[in-house]
Amino acid sequence: MNISMTRIQAILMKDYKEFSRNYAVSVMVFMPLVFAFLYNKSGSATIAIYILSINMAFSMVTTYVQCCLIAEEKEKNTLRSLMLSPASLGDILIGKSLFVFIITMVVVALTIFIAGYNPANLFILAIALILSTVFYIALGTLCGLFSKTIMEGSLITLPVVLIFSCGPLALALPSANPISKIAEWLPSSQLVLLAEALEGSYITMDIIIPITSIIVWSLVTWIVAGFIYKKRMVD
Amino acid sequence: MNAVIDVQHLKKTFNKETALQDVSFSIQKGEIFGFLGPSGSGKTTTIKILTAQTEKTAGDVLLFGRPANEMKQSNNRKRFGILTDNSGLYTRLSIEENLLLFSNLYQLPKSAIKEALDFVNLYGDRKKKISQLSKGMMQRVTLARAIMHKPELLFLDEPTSALDPVNTQHIYNGLRKLNEMGTTIFLTTHDMSEAEILCDRVAFLHKGKIRAIGAPKDLKKEFGDDSITVELKNGASEVIQNGKQDAEKLFHWMQSNEVSRIYTNEPTLGNIFIQITGSDLV
Repeated sequence: MNISMTRIQAILMKDYKEFSRNYAVSVMVFMPLVFAFLYNKSGSATIAIYILSINMAFSMVTTYVQCCLIAEEKEKNTLRSLMLSPASLGDILIGKSLFVFIITMVVVALTIFIAGYNPANLFILAIALILSTVFYIALGTLCGLFSKTIMEGSLITLPVVLIFSCGPLALALPSANPISKIAEWLPSSQLVLLAEALEGSYITMDIIIPITSIIVWSLVTWIVAGFIYKKRMVD
Repeated sequence: MNAVIDVQHLKKTFNKETALQDVSFSIQKGEIFGFLGPSGSGKTTTIKILTAQTEKTAGDVLLFGRPANEMKQSNNRKRFGILTDNSGLYTRLSIEENLLLFSNLYQLPKSAIKEALDFVNLYGDRKKKISQLSKGMMQRVTLARAIMHKPELLFLDEPTSALDPVNTQHIYNGLRKLNEMGTTIFLTTHDMSEAEILCDRVAFLHKGKIRAIGAPKDLKKEFGDDSITVELKNGASEVIQNGKQDAEKLFHWMQSNEVSRIYTNEPTLGNIFIQITGSDLV
Protein backbone atom coordinates (compact mmCIF):
# COMPACT_ATOMS: atom_id res chain seq x y z
CA MET A 1 0.00 0.00 0.00
CA ASN A 2 1.27 3.46 -0.96
CA ILE A 3 1.61 5.37 2.33
CA SER A 4 3.05 8.87 2.72
CA MET A 5 3.82 10.56 6.03
CA THR A 6 3.31 14.01 4.47
CA ARG A 7 -0.19 13.08 3.38
CA ILE A 8 -1.03 11.42 6.73
CA GLN A 9 0.19 14.52 8.56
CA ALA A 10 -1.84 16.78 6.24
CA ILE A 11 -5.04 14.85 6.97
CA LEU A 12 -4.24 14.76 10.70
CA MET A 13 -3.76 18.56 10.82
CA LYS A 14 -6.91 19.15 8.79
CA ASP A 15 -8.94 16.95 11.16
CA TYR A 16 -7.48 18.74 14.17
CA LYS A 17 -8.50 22.15 12.78
CA GLU A 18 -11.98 20.95 11.80
CA PHE A 19 -12.51 19.19 15.15
CA SER A 20 -11.37 22.14 17.25
CA ARG A 21 -13.91 24.38 15.44
CA ASN A 22 -16.77 21.87 15.59
CA TYR A 23 -18.07 22.36 19.14
CA ALA A 24 -21.02 19.97 18.72
CA VAL A 25 -18.57 17.08 18.35
CA SER A 26 -15.56 18.29 20.34
CA VAL A 27 -17.63 18.82 23.51
CA MET A 28 -18.07 15.02 23.68
CA VAL A 29 -14.49 14.61 24.92
CA PHE A 30 -15.56 16.09 28.27
CA MET A 31 -18.41 13.59 28.88
CA PRO A 32 -16.28 10.64 30.06
CA LEU A 33 -14.30 13.03 32.26
CA VAL A 34 -17.51 14.18 33.94
CA PHE A 35 -18.57 10.55 34.47
CA ALA A 36 -15.15 9.69 35.88
CA PHE A 37 -15.42 12.62 38.31
CA LEU A 38 -18.91 11.53 39.39
CA TYR A 39 -17.80 7.89 39.88
CA ASN A 40 -14.87 9.09 41.94
CA LYS A 41 -17.14 11.19 44.16
CA SER A 42 -19.73 8.38 44.47
CA GLY A 43 -17.18 6.28 46.34
CA SER A 44 -18.09 3.08 44.41
CA ALA A 45 -14.49 2.24 43.66
CA THR A 46 -14.60 -1.14 41.95
CA ILE A 47 -12.58 -2.25 38.92
CA ALA A 48 -15.81 -2.70 36.94
CA ILE A 49 -16.73 0.94 37.59
CA TYR A 50 -13.27 2.22 36.64
CA ILE A 51 -13.35 0.26 33.39
CA LEU A 52 -16.95 1.35 32.76
CA SER A 53 -15.79 4.97 32.63
CA ILE A 54 -12.91 3.96 30.31
CA ASN A 55 -15.30 2.02 28.06
CA MET A 56 -17.55 5.09 27.97
CA ALA A 57 -14.56 7.13 26.82
CA PHE A 58 -14.02 4.61 24.01
CA SER A 59 -17.64 4.72 22.87
CA MET A 60 -18.37 8.41 23.38
CA VAL A 61 -15.06 9.76 22.18
CA THR A 62 -13.27 7.21 20.02
CA THR A 63 -16.21 5.71 18.15
CA TYR A 64 -18.41 8.82 18.15
CA VAL A 65 -15.74 11.29 17.03
CA GLN A 66 -14.36 8.96 14.34
CA CYS A 67 -17.88 8.28 13.09
CA CYS A 68 -18.75 12.00 13.00
CA LEU A 69 -15.49 12.92 11.22
CA ILE A 70 -16.20 10.40 8.47
CA ALA A 71 -19.96 11.05 8.30
CA GLU A 72 -19.33 14.80 7.92
CA GLU A 73 -16.83 14.17 5.12
CA LYS A 74 -19.53 12.15 3.37
CA GLU A 75 -22.24 14.73 4.05
CA LYS A 76 -20.14 17.53 2.55
CA ASN A 77 -18.70 15.41 -0.28
CA THR A 78 -15.17 16.03 0.96
CA LEU A 79 -14.44 12.31 1.38
CA ARG A 80 -14.88 11.91 -2.39
CA SER A 81 -12.47 14.82 -2.93
CA LEU A 82 -9.92 13.08 -0.71
CA MET A 83 -10.48 9.81 -2.56
CA LEU A 84 -9.81 11.56 -5.88
CA SER A 85 -6.57 13.05 -4.58
CA PRO A 86 -3.32 11.03 -4.47
CA ALA A 87 -4.10 10.10 -0.84
CA SER A 88 -4.31 6.31 -0.65
CA LEU A 89 -6.74 4.26 1.43
CA GLY A 90 -3.96 3.89 4.01
CA ASP A 91 -3.18 7.64 4.08
CA ILE A 92 -6.83 8.57 4.65
CA LEU A 93 -7.64 5.90 7.23
CA ILE A 94 -4.36 6.30 9.16
CA GLY A 95 -4.54 10.13 9.00
CA LYS A 96 -8.09 10.22 10.33
CA SER A 97 -7.49 7.45 12.88
CA LEU A 98 -4.28 8.97 14.22
CA PHE A 99 -6.08 12.12 15.28
CA VAL A 100 -8.78 10.14 17.14
CA PHE A 101 -6.11 7.84 18.59
CA ILE A 102 -4.26 10.81 20.13
CA ILE A 103 -7.45 12.31 21.56
CA THR A 104 -8.48 8.91 22.98
CA MET A 105 -5.13 8.41 24.68
CA VAL A 106 -5.38 11.82 26.35
CA VAL A 107 -9.03 11.32 27.41
CA VAL A 108 -8.43 7.77 28.72
CA ALA A 109 -5.39 8.92 30.70
CA LEU A 110 -7.40 11.78 32.21
CA THR A 111 -10.33 9.44 32.91
CA ILE A 112 -8.06 7.03 34.82
CA PHE A 113 -6.56 9.94 36.74
CA ILE A 114 -9.89 11.62 37.58
CA ALA A 115 -11.59 8.32 38.52
CA GLY A 116 -8.69 7.63 40.87
CA TYR A 117 -7.90 4.24 39.31
CA ASN A 118 -4.48 2.90 40.17
CA PRO A 119 -3.96 -0.27 38.10
CA ALA A 120 -1.79 -3.04 39.53
CA ASN A 121 -0.06 -3.65 36.19
CA LEU A 122 -0.12 -0.50 34.12
CA PHE A 123 2.00 -1.95 31.31
CA ILE A 124 -0.37 -4.84 30.46
CA LEU A 125 -3.42 -2.64 30.92
CA ALA A 126 -1.87 0.00 28.60
CA ILE A 127 -1.41 -2.65 25.88
CA ALA A 128 -5.07 -3.66 26.23
CA LEU A 129 -6.17 0.00 26.16
CA ILE A 130 -4.18 0.70 22.99
CA LEU A 131 -5.63 -2.38 21.29
CA SER A 132 -9.13 -1.37 22.42
CA THR A 133 -8.58 2.09 20.95
CA VAL A 134 -7.68 0.50 17.62
CA PHE A 135 -10.89 -1.55 17.76
CA TYR A 136 -13.15 1.40 18.66
CA ILE A 137 -11.60 3.53 15.89
CA ALA A 138 -12.45 0.74 13.41
CA LEU A 139 -15.97 0.63 14.83
CA GLY A 140 -16.29 4.42 14.42
CA THR A 141 -14.97 4.18 10.87
CA LEU A 142 -17.54 1.53 10.06
CA CYS A 143 -20.38 3.58 11.62
CA GLY A 144 -19.19 6.64 9.67
CA LEU A 145 -19.11 4.74 6.39
CA PHE A 146 -22.69 3.61 6.92
CA SER A 147 -23.91 7.15 7.75
CA LYS A 148 -24.76 9.77 5.16
CA THR A 149 -24.87 12.69 7.61
CA ILE A 150 -23.56 13.59 11.07
CA MET A 151 -27.13 13.26 12.36
CA GLU A 152 -27.31 9.69 11.05
CA GLY A 153 -23.85 9.00 12.48
CA SER A 154 -24.95 10.17 15.93
CA LEU A 155 -27.93 7.83 15.78
CA ILE A 156 -25.92 4.87 14.57
CA THR A 157 -23.37 5.23 17.39
CA LEU A 158 -26.10 5.20 20.07
CA PRO A 159 -26.57 1.39 20.09
CA VAL A 160 -22.78 1.05 19.90
CA VAL A 161 -22.41 3.14 23.06
CA LEU A 162 -25.13 1.08 24.72
CA ILE A 163 -23.78 -2.35 23.73
CA PHE A 164 -20.07 -1.76 24.20
CA SER A 165 -20.12 0.57 27.23
CA CYS A 166 -22.90 -1.10 29.14
CA GLY A 167 -22.37 -4.66 27.84
CA PRO A 168 -20.00 -5.57 30.70
CA LEU A 169 -22.83 -4.84 33.16
CA ALA A 170 -24.37 -8.12 31.91
CA LEU A 171 -21.43 -9.94 33.51
CA ALA A 172 -23.23 -9.39 36.82
CA LEU A 173 -26.03 -11.70 35.59
CA PRO A 174 -25.82 -15.42 36.48
CA SER A 175 -23.12 -17.05 34.33
CA ALA A 176 -25.66 -19.51 32.81
CA ASN A 177 -27.64 -16.60 31.38
CA PRO A 178 -27.16 -16.50 27.57
CA ILE A 179 -26.90 -12.69 27.58
CA SER A 180 -24.06 -12.91 30.07
CA LYS A 181 -22.35 -15.55 27.91
CA ILE A 182 -22.51 -13.34 24.82
CA ALA A 183 -21.58 -10.17 26.68
CA GLU A 184 -18.53 -11.88 28.11
CA TRP A 185 -16.92 -11.87 24.65
CA LEU A 186 -17.38 -8.17 23.99
CA PRO A 187 -14.02 -6.37 23.92
CA SER A 188 -15.29 -4.07 26.66
CA SER A 189 -16.07 -7.07 28.90
CA GLN A 190 -12.72 -8.61 28.11
CA LEU A 191 -11.10 -5.38 29.28
CA VAL A 192 -13.00 -5.65 32.59
CA LEU A 193 -11.99 -9.30 33.01
CA LEU A 194 -8.38 -8.45 32.25
CA ALA A 195 -8.31 -5.52 34.67
CA GLU A 196 -9.87 -7.65 37.40
CA ALA A 197 -7.36 -10.45 36.77
CA LEU A 198 -4.47 -7.99 36.99
CA GLU A 199 -5.55 -6.99 40.51
CA GLY A 200 -5.21 -10.57 41.80
CA SER A 201 -2.92 -13.55 41.18
CA TYR A 202 -3.39 -14.25 37.50
CA ILE A 203 -2.13 -16.94 35.14
CA THR A 204 -0.85 -16.25 31.59
CA MET A 205 -4.14 -17.31 29.99
CA ASP A 206 -5.97 -14.61 32.01
CA ILE A 207 -3.92 -12.10 29.99
CA ILE A 208 -3.69 -13.87 26.63
CA ILE A 209 -7.42 -14.56 26.20
CA PRO A 210 -8.63 -10.94 26.66
CA ILE A 211 -5.75 -9.49 24.58
CA THR A 212 -6.31 -12.02 21.78
CA SER A 213 -10.04 -11.46 21.70
CA ILE A 214 -9.58 -7.66 21.47
CA ILE A 215 -7.06 -8.19 18.64
CA VAL A 216 -9.53 -10.46 16.80
CA TRP A 217 -12.34 -7.88 17.21
CA SER A 218 -9.98 -5.17 15.87
CA LEU A 219 -8.80 -7.21 12.90
CA VAL A 220 -12.28 -8.27 11.83
CA THR A 221 -13.70 -4.74 12.20
CA TRP A 222 -10.80 -3.18 10.26
CA ILE A 223 -11.10 -5.72 7.45
CA VAL A 224 -14.84 -4.99 7.15
CA ALA A 225 -14.18 -1.20 7.34
CA GLY A 226 -11.52 -1.42 4.59
CA PHE A 227 -13.86 -3.47 2.40
CA ILE A 228 -16.77 -1.03 2.87
CA TYR A 229 -14.46 1.96 2.21
CA LYS A 230 -13.32 0.45 -1.09
CA LYS A 231 -16.94 -0.18 -2.05
CA ARG A 232 -17.79 3.46 -1.18
CA MET A 233 -15.04 4.65 -3.53
CA VAL A 234 -17.28 3.83 -6.49
CA ASP A 235 -20.98 4.73 -6.86
CA MET B 1 -2.43 10.44 -32.83
CA ASN B 2 -2.01 10.97 -29.09
CA ALA B 3 -5.40 10.22 -27.46
CA VAL B 4 -5.64 11.27 -23.84
CA ILE B 5 -9.15 9.83 -23.60
CA ASP B 6 -10.45 7.03 -25.79
CA VAL B 7 -13.99 5.79 -25.21
CA GLN B 8 -15.46 3.03 -27.37
CA HIS B 9 -19.02 1.69 -27.17
CA LEU B 10 -19.43 2.76 -23.55
CA LYS B 11 -22.60 1.59 -21.87
CA LYS B 12 -23.80 2.28 -18.37
CA THR B 13 -27.00 1.09 -16.76
CA PHE B 14 -28.31 1.82 -13.28
CA ASN B 15 -30.54 -1.09 -12.30
CA LYS B 16 -32.51 -1.44 -15.53
CA GLU B 17 -32.25 2.19 -16.61
CA THR B 18 -29.75 3.00 -19.37
CA ALA B 19 -27.72 6.12 -18.63
CA LEU B 20 -25.22 5.79 -21.49
CA GLN B 21 -25.55 3.78 -24.66
CA ASP B 22 -22.86 3.06 -27.26
CA VAL B 23 -20.95 6.26 -26.48
CA SER B 24 -17.72 6.56 -28.47
CA PHE B 25 -15.32 9.48 -28.73
CA SER B 26 -11.66 10.24 -28.32
CA ILE B 27 -9.88 13.36 -27.17
CA GLN B 28 -6.41 14.31 -28.33
CA LYS B 29 -3.70 15.84 -26.16
CA GLY B 30 -4.12 19.61 -25.88
CA GLU B 31 -7.77 19.66 -26.96
CA ILE B 32 -10.62 21.43 -25.19
CA PHE B 33 -13.51 19.04 -25.68
CA GLY B 34 -17.07 20.04 -24.83
CA PHE B 35 -19.57 17.40 -23.76
CA LEU B 36 -22.88 19.12 -24.19
CA GLY B 37 -26.31 18.06 -23.15
CA PRO B 38 -29.23 18.87 -20.89
CA SER B 39 -29.38 17.83 -17.24
CA GLY B 40 -29.74 14.06 -16.92
CA SER B 41 -28.25 13.33 -20.34
CA GLY B 42 -25.32 11.35 -18.88
CA LYS B 43 -22.54 13.98 -18.77
CA THR B 44 -21.67 13.56 -15.10
CA THR B 45 -21.94 9.76 -15.34
CA THR B 46 -19.36 9.89 -18.14
CA ILE B 47 -16.97 11.95 -15.97
CA LYS B 48 -17.48 9.53 -13.08
CA ILE B 49 -16.62 6.55 -15.30
CA LEU B 50 -13.56 8.34 -16.72
CA THR B 51 -12.30 9.13 -13.22
CA ALA B 52 -13.02 5.62 -11.88
CA GLN B 53 -15.76 6.78 -9.53
CA THR B 54 -18.33 4.57 -11.24
CA GLU B 55 -17.92 1.21 -12.95
CA LYS B 56 -18.94 0.98 -16.60
CA THR B 57 -21.42 -1.68 -17.68
CA ALA B 58 -19.75 -2.35 -21.05
CA GLY B 59 -17.30 -0.84 -23.54
CA ASP B 60 -13.68 0.29 -23.46
CA VAL B 61 -12.53 3.39 -21.62
CA LEU B 62 -8.86 4.36 -21.82
CA LEU B 63 -7.14 7.32 -20.18
CA PHE B 64 -3.55 8.01 -21.21
CA GLY B 65 -3.71 4.65 -22.99
CA ARG B 66 -4.52 2.74 -19.80
CA PRO B 67 -7.89 1.39 -18.58
CA ALA B 68 -9.79 4.11 -16.67
CA ASN B 69 -10.04 1.76 -13.69
CA GLU B 70 -6.30 2.33 -13.12
CA MET B 71 -7.08 5.95 -12.27
CA LYS B 72 -7.90 4.66 -8.77
CA GLN B 73 -4.18 4.28 -8.21
CA SER B 74 -2.70 7.03 -6.12
CA ASN B 75 0.01 8.05 -8.62
CA ASN B 76 -2.39 8.16 -11.56
CA ARG B 77 -4.68 10.56 -9.70
CA LYS B 78 -1.96 13.23 -9.98
CA ARG B 79 -2.45 13.19 -13.74
CA PHE B 80 -5.95 14.67 -13.67
CA GLY B 81 -7.87 17.38 -11.88
CA ILE B 82 -11.61 17.48 -11.42
CA LEU B 83 -14.29 20.02 -10.65
CA THR B 84 -17.85 18.78 -10.24
CA ASP B 85 -20.86 20.24 -8.49
CA ASN B 86 -20.31 17.76 -5.64
CA SER B 87 -16.63 18.56 -5.10
CA GLY B 88 -16.82 19.37 -1.40
CA LEU B 89 -14.84 21.89 0.63
CA TYR B 90 -14.10 21.98 4.36
CA THR B 91 -16.44 24.73 5.49
CA ARG B 92 -14.78 25.41 8.85
CA LEU B 93 -11.40 25.95 7.22
CA SER B 94 -10.27 29.00 5.29
CA ILE B 95 -9.68 29.03 1.54
CA GLU B 96 -5.94 28.85 2.18
CA GLU B 97 -6.28 25.97 4.68
CA ASN B 98 -8.36 24.00 2.17
CA LEU B 99 -5.74 24.44 -0.52
CA LEU B 100 -2.91 23.77 1.94
CA LEU B 101 -4.39 20.33 2.64
CA PHE B 102 -4.48 19.46 -1.04
CA SER B 103 -1.08 20.98 -1.79
CA ASN B 104 0.29 18.60 0.87
CA LEU B 105 -1.64 15.64 -0.55
CA TYR B 106 -0.19 16.40 -3.99
CA GLN B 107 3.16 17.25 -2.36
CA LEU B 108 3.38 20.66 -4.02
CA PRO B 109 5.38 23.70 -2.93
CA LYS B 110 3.49 26.44 -1.04
CA SER B 111 3.83 28.73 -4.07
CA ALA B 112 1.28 26.49 -5.87
CA ILE B 113 -1.44 27.83 -3.54
CA LYS B 114 -0.76 31.45 -4.53
CA GLU B 115 -0.63 30.56 -8.22
CA ALA B 116 -3.95 28.71 -8.02
CA LEU B 117 -5.62 31.51 -6.05
CA ASP B 118 -4.37 34.11 -8.54
CA PHE B 119 -5.84 31.96 -11.30
CA VAL B 120 -9.33 32.22 -9.79
CA ASN B 121 -8.84 35.81 -8.55
CA LEU B 122 -9.18 34.89 -4.86
CA TYR B 123 -5.73 35.51 -3.38
CA GLY B 124 -6.96 38.58 -1.47
CA ASP B 125 -9.73 36.50 0.14
CA ARG B 126 -7.52 33.55 1.12
CA LYS B 127 -8.08 33.97 4.87
CA LYS B 128 -11.88 33.84 4.54
CA LYS B 129 -13.64 30.74 5.85
CA ILE B 130 -15.46 28.66 3.23
CA SER B 131 -18.70 29.04 5.21
CA GLN B 132 -18.54 32.81 4.55
CA LEU B 133 -18.26 32.47 0.77
CA SER B 134 -20.87 32.81 -1.94
CA LYS B 135 -21.62 29.84 -4.20
CA GLY B 136 -19.61 31.42 -6.99
CA MET B 137 -16.57 31.93 -4.75
CA MET B 138 -16.79 28.32 -3.57
CA GLN B 139 -16.82 27.19 -7.18
CA ARG B 140 -13.67 29.22 -7.81
CA VAL B 141 -11.97 27.64 -4.78
CA THR B 142 -12.87 24.19 -6.11
CA LEU B 143 -11.48 25.15 -9.49
CA ALA B 144 -8.28 26.40 -7.84
CA ARG B 145 -7.97 23.04 -6.10
CA ALA B 146 -8.54 21.18 -9.38
CA ILE B 147 -5.79 23.04 -11.27
CA MET B 148 -3.32 23.54 -8.41
CA HIS B 149 -1.18 20.52 -9.38
CA LYS B 150 -1.18 21.48 -13.09
CA PRO B 151 -2.85 18.27 -14.26
CA GLU B 152 -2.36 16.84 -17.75
CA LEU B 153 -6.13 16.37 -18.00
CA LEU B 154 -8.79 18.55 -16.42
CA PHE B 155 -12.43 17.49 -15.99
CA LEU B 156 -14.76 20.44 -15.56
CA ASP B 157 -18.44 19.83 -14.88
CA GLU B 158 -20.34 23.11 -15.43
CA PRO B 159 -17.35 25.19 -14.28
CA THR B 160 -18.93 28.64 -14.57
CA SER B 161 -22.55 27.84 -13.68
CA ALA B 162 -22.51 29.98 -10.52
CA LEU B 163 -20.16 32.75 -11.69
CA ASP B 164 -20.81 36.36 -12.66
CA PRO B 165 -19.74 37.53 -16.15
CA VAL B 166 -16.49 39.17 -14.93
CA ASN B 167 -15.29 36.05 -13.13
CA THR B 168 -16.53 33.83 -15.96
CA GLN B 169 -14.32 35.79 -18.37
CA HIS B 170 -11.41 35.55 -15.92
CA ILE B 171 -11.86 31.76 -15.74
CA TYR B 172 -12.10 31.47 -19.53
CA ASN B 173 -8.81 33.34 -19.92
CA GLY B 174 -7.20 31.12 -17.29
CA LEU B 175 -8.46 27.93 -18.92
CA ARG B 176 -7.11 29.04 -22.30
CA LYS B 177 -3.76 29.73 -20.67
CA LEU B 178 -3.76 26.28 -19.02
CA ASN B 179 -4.66 24.74 -22.36
CA GLU B 180 -1.82 26.59 -24.08
CA MET B 181 0.50 25.10 -21.45
CA GLY B 182 -0.62 21.62 -22.59
CA THR B 183 -3.56 20.73 -20.34
CA THR B 184 -6.28 18.77 -22.09
CA ILE B 185 -9.72 19.90 -20.93
CA PHE B 186 -12.90 17.83 -20.84
CA LEU B 187 -15.73 20.25 -20.25
CA THR B 188 -19.36 19.40 -19.68
CA THR B 189 -21.89 22.18 -19.91
CA HIS B 190 -25.36 23.04 -21.06
CA ASP B 191 -24.19 26.58 -21.79
CA MET B 192 -23.76 26.57 -25.57
CA SER B 193 -22.08 29.97 -25.69
CA GLU B 194 -19.43 28.70 -23.24
CA ALA B 195 -18.79 25.74 -25.53
CA GLU B 196 -18.52 28.01 -28.58
CA ILE B 197 -16.02 30.27 -26.82
CA LEU B 198 -13.81 27.55 -25.37
CA CYS B 199 -14.08 24.25 -27.22
CA ASP B 200 -12.06 22.92 -30.14
CA ARG B 201 -14.61 20.12 -30.57
CA VAL B 202 -17.97 19.35 -29.02
CA ALA B 203 -20.21 16.30 -28.71
CA PHE B 204 -23.97 16.53 -28.23
CA LEU B 205 -25.22 14.03 -25.70
CA HIS B 206 -28.91 13.36 -25.51
CA LYS B 207 -30.64 10.61 -23.51
CA GLY B 208 -27.34 8.77 -23.09
CA LYS B 209 -26.35 8.78 -26.78
CA ILE B 210 -23.98 10.98 -28.75
CA ARG B 211 -26.04 12.64 -31.50
CA ALA B 212 -23.31 14.69 -33.20
CA ILE B 213 -19.63 15.36 -32.73
CA GLY B 214 -17.22 17.79 -34.34
CA ALA B 215 -15.68 21.27 -34.31
CA PRO B 216 -18.30 24.01 -33.68
CA LYS B 217 -17.60 25.65 -37.06
CA ASP B 218 -17.95 22.31 -38.90
CA LEU B 219 -21.22 21.53 -37.14
CA LYS B 220 -22.52 24.99 -38.02
CA LYS B 221 -21.59 24.41 -41.64
CA GLU B 222 -23.21 20.98 -41.63
CA PHE B 223 -26.44 21.95 -39.93
CA GLY B 224 -26.79 25.61 -40.89
CA ASP B 225 -27.33 27.52 -44.11
CA ASP B 226 -25.05 30.14 -45.61
CA SER B 227 -27.67 32.83 -46.18
CA ILE B 228 -27.65 36.30 -44.69
CA THR B 229 -30.52 38.50 -43.58
CA VAL B 230 -30.65 42.14 -44.68
CA GLU B 231 -32.76 44.64 -42.79
CA LEU B 232 -33.68 47.73 -44.75
CA LYS B 233 -34.24 51.21 -43.47
CA ASN B 234 -37.93 51.01 -44.40
CA GLY B 235 -38.34 48.19 -41.85
CA ALA B 236 -38.45 45.32 -44.36
CA SER B 237 -36.06 42.40 -44.07
CA GLU B 238 -35.03 39.86 -46.65
CA VAL B 239 -33.01 36.63 -46.68
CA ILE B 240 -30.23 36.71 -49.26
CA GLN B 241 -28.85 33.45 -50.67
CA ASN B 242 -25.51 32.90 -52.39
CA GLY B 243 -25.90 33.62 -56.11
CA LYS B 244 -25.76 36.32 -58.75
CA GLN B 245 -29.43 37.36 -58.52
CA ASP B 246 -29.38 38.02 -54.77
CA ALA B 247 -25.94 39.60 -54.99
CA GLU B 248 -27.24 42.19 -57.45
CA LYS B 249 -30.20 42.89 -55.17
CA LEU B 250 -27.86 43.44 -52.20
CA PHE B 251 -25.53 45.62 -54.30
CA HIS B 252 -28.48 47.76 -55.33
CA TRP B 253 -29.66 48.29 -51.73
CA MET B 254 -26.21 49.18 -50.61
CA GLN B 255 -25.64 51.57 -53.45
CA SER B 256 -28.89 53.37 -52.70
CA ASN B 257 -28.03 53.46 -48.97
CA GLU B 258 -31.13 51.47 -47.98
CA VAL B 259 -29.41 48.87 -45.76
CA SER B 260 -29.91 49.22 -42.01
CA ARG B 261 -28.38 45.93 -40.76
CA ILE B 262 -26.86 42.73 -42.15
CA TYR B 263 -26.38 39.52 -40.21
CA THR B 264 -25.59 35.88 -40.97
CA ASN B 265 -28.08 33.09 -40.44
CA GLU B 266 -25.39 30.81 -39.02
CA PRO B 267 -27.02 28.63 -36.34
CA THR B 268 -25.83 28.65 -32.75
CA LEU B 269 -24.82 25.35 -31.15
CA GLY B 270 -28.10 25.59 -29.22
CA ASN B 271 -30.06 25.77 -32.49
CA ILE B 272 -28.18 22.75 -33.82
CA PHE B 273 -28.84 20.79 -30.65
CA ILE B 274 -32.57 21.47 -30.94
CA GLN B 275 -32.46 20.60 -34.63
CA ILE B 276 -30.78 17.24 -33.92
CA THR B 277 -32.59 16.14 -30.80
CA GLY B 278 -35.89 17.96 -31.07
CA SER B 279 -35.54 19.12 -27.49
CA ASP B 280 -34.08 22.06 -25.63
CA LEU B 281 -30.99 22.13 -23.45
CA VAL B 282 -32.64 22.71 -20.10
